[in-house]
Amino acid sequence: MDLPFVKEAVKQLFSKSSCAMYPAVPSEAAPHYRGRIVYHPELCINCGMCERVCSGNAITRKVEKVEEGDKITMTFNLGSCTFCATCADFCSRHAIEFTGDYHMVATKEEDLLVSGTFIKKPPVKKPAPPKPAAAPAAAPAAGGAPAPAAPAAPVKPRDDGKPVNDPSKCVYCTLCARKCPAGALEVDRAAKTWTLDEDKCVGCGTCAEACPKKCILI
Amino acid sequence: MFKKLIAESTAKSPWLFHINAGSCNGCDIELVSVLTPRYDAERLGFKLAGSPRHADIVVVTGPVTAQSLPRVLRAISQVPEPRCIVTMGSCPQSGNVFRGSYSVVGPLSKYVHVDVDVAGCAPKPQAVIDGLALATKILKEKREAK
Repeated sequence: MDLPFVKEAVKQLFSKSSCAMYPAVPSEAAPHYRGRIVYHPELCINCGMCERVCSGNAITRKVEKVEEGDKITMTFNLGSCTFCATCADFCSRHAIEFTGDYHMVATKEEDLLVSGTFIKKPPVKKPAPPKPAAAPAAAPAAGGAPAPAAPAAPVKPRDDGKPVNDPSKCVYCTLCARKCPAGALEVDRAAKTWTLDEDKCVGCGTCAEACPKKCILI
Repeated sequence: MFKKLIAESTAKSPWLFHINAGSCNGCDIELVSVLTPRYDAERLGFKLAGSPRHADIVVVTGPVTAQSLPRVLRAISQVPEPRCIVTMGSCPQSGNVFRGSYSVVGPLSKYVHVDVDVAGCAPKPQAVIDGLALATKILKEKREAK
């Protein structure tokens, strides 16, 4: 009598199990696995881009007025998150991080919330933004009839279809400069300057669309 | 004595019933992979039951669509008490990307008490095993309280 599988059966009896034996043997997530969100409030500048791009409406932002400025609380609901990392991709300050922690088990919904708070101080007001340099070039193009707006007055859209920035709203997140297809914008976050190269600008409006604070008028 | 024996063995082997409430199938496949030889939840006593009347733990995936809601509630009501309801993935907890759709009536916690939430889209099989272990603990507490 032929017993063809006896050898294989005996071998399998003494071989190592193919099971991962998970709870007994801890397991790491694969590299670049997108698990629990870690939010760095010290890096955040409250531009609101993450909230706008979130497909699952998992991100909420609460702004409270306190003495020192605005107290901003960002809350990430992991029970609503798709873990697509679009918020981290769009964050210009890299304040959102996806970790390899996949143990997201909770009995209450509050346990699945990740939040962080920071206080944003109001910007230091500068007497004159670097606007007069651009004004003489714009005035002849517009026919000389409308006088260029004074820097201190509320910012009005320009007649020539070029963008103009409202420094009272701008957070200098550099998103407009990154999106500009002509490379006409230069934003310096440290010096809080927003400069437009008028010769390069094509007036397409991409910067105004990309602006999370809607402070660019076109 | 016979009843005690049954109580002890059922506590060690909770049976699962899986309800798909309009899921995209991602979580369903992860749940099935938990039962494959790779992660082998059956060595921990979990077994997929074919009928809700045999189950102890109900695993719900999907954002609870209008069509599936009466079936979900009917299936859950057929599971004998004490039972434990586990939501798997973000969808039954909030609706996820399907939130706001005309056909989505979730989250599930509006209709039944949810014991364990396993977050992730889709959760890793290890996270599902963690969630089921927590559900077993809750089930044991419920049995002792009864």
